[in-house]
Amino acid sequence: MVGFEIRQAVEELVYRSCMMLDDKDWKGFLALCGEEFRYTIAAHSPEIRRDMVWLDHDRKGMDTLFANLPRHNSDHSPITRHATVYTVDADTAGREATAVSALQVFRTQLDGGASELFAVGRMTDTIRLDGAASRLLRRVVRLDTRLIGYGYHVPF
Amino acid sequence: MSKNAQQWQQTPALPQTHYVDSRIYTDQLLFEEEKEKLFKPSWIIACHESELEAAFDYRLFTHPTGVPLIIVRGDDMKVRAFYNICPHRGNTILYDPAGNAKRMTCIFHQWSFDSRGNCIDISRADQGYQKRFCKEDAGMREVNCETAYGGFVWVNLVDDCQPLKEFVGGALDILAPFISEPLEVFHFHKAHVRTNFKLWHDTNSEFYHDFLHYFNRITGMMQPGYFDRKYTGFPNGHASVGSMEIKYDKYEGSKSRAVGWPGLATGGWYMVDIFPGMTYNLRTSVLRIDTVVPLGPNEVIIEFRGLGLKRDTAEERRERVFDHNMIWGPFGRNLHEDLLGVHGQGRAMRPGTDSRWIIQGREENSTIHDEVGMRHFYAEWSRRMGRPAFDPYGEGKPAPVRAAA
Repeated sequence: MVGFEIRQAVEELVYRSCMMLDDKDWKGFLALCGEEFRYTIAAHSPEIRRDMVWLDHDRKGMDTLFANLPRHNSDHSPITRHATVYTVDADTAGREATAVSALQVFRTQLDGGASELFAVGRMTDTIRLDGAASRLLRRVVRLDTRLIGYGYHVPF
Repeated sequence: MSKNAQQWQQTPALPQTHYVDSRIYTDQLLFEEEKEKLFKPSWIIACHESELEAAFDYRLFTHPTGVPLIIVRGDDMKVRAFYNICPHRGNTILYDPAGNAKRMTCIFHQWSFDSRGNCIDISRADQGYQKRFCKEDAGMREVNCETAYGGFVWVNLVDDCQPLKEFVGGALDILAPFISEPLEVFHFHKAHVRTNFKLWHDTNSEFYHDFLHYFNRITGMMQPGYFDRKYTGFPNGHASVGSMEIKYDKYEGSKSRAVGWPGLATGGWYMVDIFPGMTYNLRTSVLRIDTVVPLGPNEVIIEFRGLGLKRDTAEERRERVFDHNMIWGPFGRNLHEDLLGVHGQGRAMRPGTDSRWIIQGREENSTIHDEVGMRHFYAEWSRRMGRPAFDPYGEGKPAPVRAAA
């Protein structure tokens, strides 16, 4: 069990990262990430009985993905991430923590503003602890939802 | 010049083979007819052999006509297909989408079946049926099933159907050198889209919509050889598209796809559309297979599979998965755009929107922006449906065709 300060720093970072992505503040999001950051979206397919990777980028790859977004035709409906940090574990030196969060993603239609549940899953973050300067090193979003309609260009 | 209501209804000034009536995408009765006349007699890809590696491995598949199927590898390693309907009280026999079942047992009354479709147990049979009905009377309904063309499991619901080889004809010859060794599925997902299944197949049958894709414009359209790619039509409505060299490194964040594919030229890309709703798409390092499962005139499930070589090393597989996801994954650059495109068509073509004509009139010597692939599909559609796609209700008063300048 980690102390209050570590848990607070971890929760703050996880929640801020979700808000930055929701706000399409890509630079703000990447500023919360270490240089060695890696983002993976995975899912298990009961149909082919395999684990699948749906997206896997290092920090540079994420940077490029965000930079290229305006060149693509995308669904512009905003999405809202609801994360709840379930557990936080830290190494004995208190330098690195792992946070497991439940993730729900909602999509809100631009016309009329109807919101719908888009996806659910679990998010595992590895975090370098340094108080207010703590940074994300790794994010693995493991989706339970695999039917996401016409999809989305921005990772959950 | 904009059009008034009367002008909007008037057929395009093109040959009748170069447009279709948009009601073929929305009419419930035509949709029911399509299931009977297009999907039922056609061979359909249900899954891949790598999804059924061991004896008794099974996979469920909903046939485009709506029939629930079990594809199972038998004790003799032969792959067979059966209705997933218990012959007793019509219940679902297997529920999980895949698994391994030495006995397939209906949970309702515990009737059991073996992997060859034989009923092997009727609970308290003698007490209830007194020899009037026995296991031999209770076999599963088997449908035609063949494994071919890259290890895909094809099914056909009609007892005396056309042989698979005859149905496919020469359409997949272009891919034959590349799909002869064992392949393996590494990706599967479905997309549920409010659109007509033909609109997805149309998207796979024309490349003019490369304007939709920044990735394809940069890596393909702006590169030498792009406008040399040619469509070839085959009997039964199938069509193939020849290759070019895609320059993947022109898209920042992409790679040159060094892992490649045995025998395929660097950056190569072949596509084959199989009537009425399947596509083989071999793009440099990954084979993608699309199978449409229509749910209604304006609703479709598309099953997407990504395949690599069974002999891939872990590193090679990682490369293929990366290449696949870059454009074709659920968060890929191209797939979302393609799905948005057909979603938009579905939105604009719902009954009551007064959508009218879909133009497929581009002629460019069968090269990449020619719409001959779609025209070829609708010629077969019209033949099988017994009604022309340009005038499905026999109302026709076509406008005069305008000659080329």
